[in-house]
Amino acid sequence: MSNVIIQIKNYSWQYMNSSDLALRNINLEIEEGKFIGIIGPNGSGKTTLAYSLDALIPGQYNGIKQGEVFVYGKEVEKYAKGELQKSVGVVFSDPESQFTAMTVEDELVFGMENLGLSIPEIKERLEWVTDLVDLEPLMLKPPYEISGGQKQRVALAAVLAMMPKVMVLDEPTSMLDPISRKRVFEVLAQLKKEKRNTIIVIEHSLENLIPLADRMILLSNGELILEDETQQFFQNIPLLLEKSVYPPGVLLFFYRLFEAGYANSVLPLTLEAAENNLIKIINEKINGVNR
Amino acid sequence: MNDQKPFITVDHLWYTYTDGTLALSDINMKIFDGEFLAFIGQNGSGKTTLSKCLNGLFKPTQGDVIVDGLNSKNTPIVQMVRRVGYVFQNPDHQLFNNNCWDEIAYGPRNIQLPENEVKERVEEAAKVVGLDESYFSEHPFFLSKGLRQRVAIASILALRPKVIIVDEPTTGQDARQSIEIMEFLKRLNEELGHTIVIITHDMPIVAKYARRVVVMGKGKILADGNTRDVFRMSDILSQTFLEPPQITQLAQRCASLGFSPSTLTVEEMLEQFYQIIGVN
Repeated sequence: MSNVIIQIKNYSWQYMNSSDLALRNINLEIEEGKFIGIIGPNGSGKTTLAYSLDALIPGQYNGIKQGEVFVYGKEVEKYAKGELQKSVGVVFSDPESQFTAMTVEDELVFGMENLGLSIPEIKERLEWVTDLVDLEPLMLKPPYEISGGQKQRVALAAVLAMMPKVMVLDEPTSMLDPISRKRVFEVLAQLKKEKRNTIIVIEHSLENLIPLADRMILLSNGELILEDETQQFFQNIPLLLEKSVYPPGVLLFFYRLFEAGYANSVLPLTLEAAENNLIKIINEKINGVNR
Repeated sequence: MNDQKPFITVDHLWYTYTDGTLALSDINMKIFDGEFLAFIGQNGSGKTTLSKCLNGLFKPTQGDVIVDGLNSKNTPIVQMVRRVGYVFQNPDHQLFNNNCWDEIAYGPRNIQLPENEVKERVEEAAKVVGLDESYFSEHPFFLSKGLRQRVAIASILALRPKVIIVDEPTTGQDARQSIEIMEFLKRLNEELGHTIVIITHDMPIVAKYARRVVVMGKGKILADGNTRDVFRMSDILSQTFLEPPQITQLAQRCASLGFSPSTLTVEEMLEQFYQIIGVN
């Protein structure tokens, strides 16, 4: 585990005025360049965990912290103000909470200026991100006048433009329609392939997340219940169901086949794999009977 | 499709916003008592505009919307909302009172029911959505999103509309909350006889609950039929960048093995699997 970028040790957080722990004794290591999916019911601590990674917690919230959160080997609270945010960018589930500028273009440029990038560099990244997230028609509009889905795309673009080493996306597609949602996941897939960013996505929409995620994390009631490579993670379907996480239909179908002894425990994570598996199982069964 | 009288008839409906944007062009449809429909389509396809025409919030630019024999053009909104209720996508856009009781009572008071009937309606609506009395004095904003949505639905129910339109009932809800809200709508449909219309992007939810699907694109109805048939129309779906549920897609890819391309659920898929391999 040489390239661990995030290390969380015995970490608990309790918001002021709350009688329960929002996160309870979390231990977790995340390697550089991995794509991590975080799932769990509402209220399970996913957003709290995201905020803890760029020191918004404890920085902007009152509460009691126990344990430590390290980014690049340094405790998040030990970073000078603004330093950590160069490495860790968070896209909030409520995009309005991150907007500060009067036009979408200014919104995108704001973060890059803060990083002290040169004007040619800013121009280049602006073009890249505008094209990538398809924002051209919105550039001169005020961020508060565009639709919820458009806001969400601007919020994503603003963080992408800063190219932080670690990107944390909190339900980035909750307000998007299916095509925009697909497009966001295509962008993430491209980042994963071409850049070496560490990408952490909190998401309810598992169908899009599963094919991309290297590892998955399940949180429930503030506890880390399960953390594993995606393939292994979904071998625990009874546990997931018990925690009210419902896997996509195809995974559930193959899990039922596995339970009945018709499929092996390696469940297909993509439609292509599912199709191939199913053809194989049926052909073997039918030919086997004939022989 | 049905020889009973439609509850809603939409006849050559056109709607243009005041800024000139054409939102609906030549919509024709009938909605019958007891149906469970889904409106699907991309953002901006006209789903919400159509819904607001159905409850009289928007009046047609051209054409007619007839609800329970009343033409929305010359029927006061007070009469319309007693027949068709619309639950906003974001309950926070709808809730504005300081406690749940007043919130639910707002509609009945607004249509000038006597206070004893208001009380009866609030209690009935709260009971249906499973909101117990201890919540009546709570401020809606301090409730969870799921509970706020229930308050929003209760405030519509209190008007006892025949048709209830719910805009994106599962957005932002986790899996368990989504199932709870959908099972609740199913109960309103099956046990209390309400006609339910959901507007959603969640295709597995459509497959599981809606019996009829209306596909919209660019202000037009592109397809309107029972759920199984519509999910087979891959041309129309891909035109609007919609995909049937994953399990339906798997069945369609494996149709040559004997799976039906209009499979909707995991259970149906399993049943067919056992038939194909010859096991009962």
